[in-house]
Amino acid sequence: DGVAALPAPQNLSVHSTNMKHLLTWSPVVLPKETVYYSVEYQGEYESLYTSDIWIPSKWCLCTEGPECDVTDDITATVPYSLRVRAILGSQTSAWSILEQPFNRNSTILTPPMIEVSQDGFHLVIELEDLGPQFQFLVAYWRREPDTKEHAKIVRRGGIPVHLETMEPGAPYCVKAQALVNAIGRNSAFSQTKCVEVQGEALPL
Amino acid sequence: RRCLISVDMNQLEESFQEIKRAIQTKDTFQNITILSTVETLQSIKPVDVCCVTKNLLEFYMRRVFKDHQELKPQILRRISSIANSFLYMQKTLKQCQEQRGCQCSEEATNATRIVHDNYDQLGIPSAAIKSLGELNIFIAWIEKNHQATSV
Repeated sequence: DGVAALPAPQNLSVHSTNMKHLLTWSPVVLPKETVYYSVEYQGEYESLYTSDIWIPSKWCLCTEGPECDVTDDITATVPYSLRVRAILGSQTSAWSILEQPFNRNSTILTPPMIEVSQDGFHLVIELEDLGPQFQFLVAYWRREPDTKEHAKIVRRGGIPVHLETMEPGAPYCVKAQALVNAIGRNSAFSQTKCVEVQGEALPL
Repeated sequence: RRCLISVDMNQLEESFQEIKRAIQTKDTFQNITILSTVETLQSIKPVDVCCVTKNLLEFYMRRVFKDHQELKPQILRRISSIANSFLYMQKTLKQCQEQRGCQCSEEATNATRIVHDNYDQLGIPSAAIKSLGELNIFIAWIEKNHQATSV
């Protein structure tokens, strides 16, 4: 019927940081036309047992941008295949498939942002809220010779957590790392932050 | 010592809750069970836990998820999430089982055979729907037998 075949999207790749997974591709550019895209995925289960089944991505059934947040599609720590096609009116392109299946255990884990503060004599930390998959290991110590480092697991970010009651005379320092059980990995430690309480020690 | 699995059980349960109503309304055999009564699973001895878990994971992956034809994308997504989580469990369990052994006693083998017999008797697609509707029983079994007690 003489209609030029709609080109398929190229250069698919996944960028994943802190368990947020973004599929991107090179856009199909046609003068004065808006091209849409459709994304589908297959977990390792489907590729092993029901290879003819591809599942429509939750957020990108018909999307305009050359990218798709597939975080809600990638829900297990197994390799996932992803494919994209272009849509223009009633025309659809061939599917382009991600060259290497993506496994979320390859996500980049960044050191968490931390806010260390004092509430009277109380040492308080608030960690970045990175979502339900994340827990945090918090290490804290009183900066003086022969000091002992304490550790605490914090199950969620975004809420202030009391670490210790401080005594004047030396700063208290804190650092934290993110833990993701679902992939069995953790981030590097954050920068260390210290606070010091002034004044008299608390009455016993 | 039992084999532990680091899988987000909350997500599994959430996925099951999302499919539960849609699946259970299609279940026309309300007074029949595939996973047998909870008592049967409860009566499994600790030494047989590994074998029963391995067999039930295999049952769901090779039969139930394959036999069920789902048209609604949101249900399909949730079943896929559970199926791929089961696949991940199977892989992580396998490593542990190879180190510690995973023998199947006669009782464990019988318990699994009962499940398959129930499935065969009900026949596809009803049996697949019934088994999907009973995923909560198996998920609870996994949580009880393969999760580190959360502090």
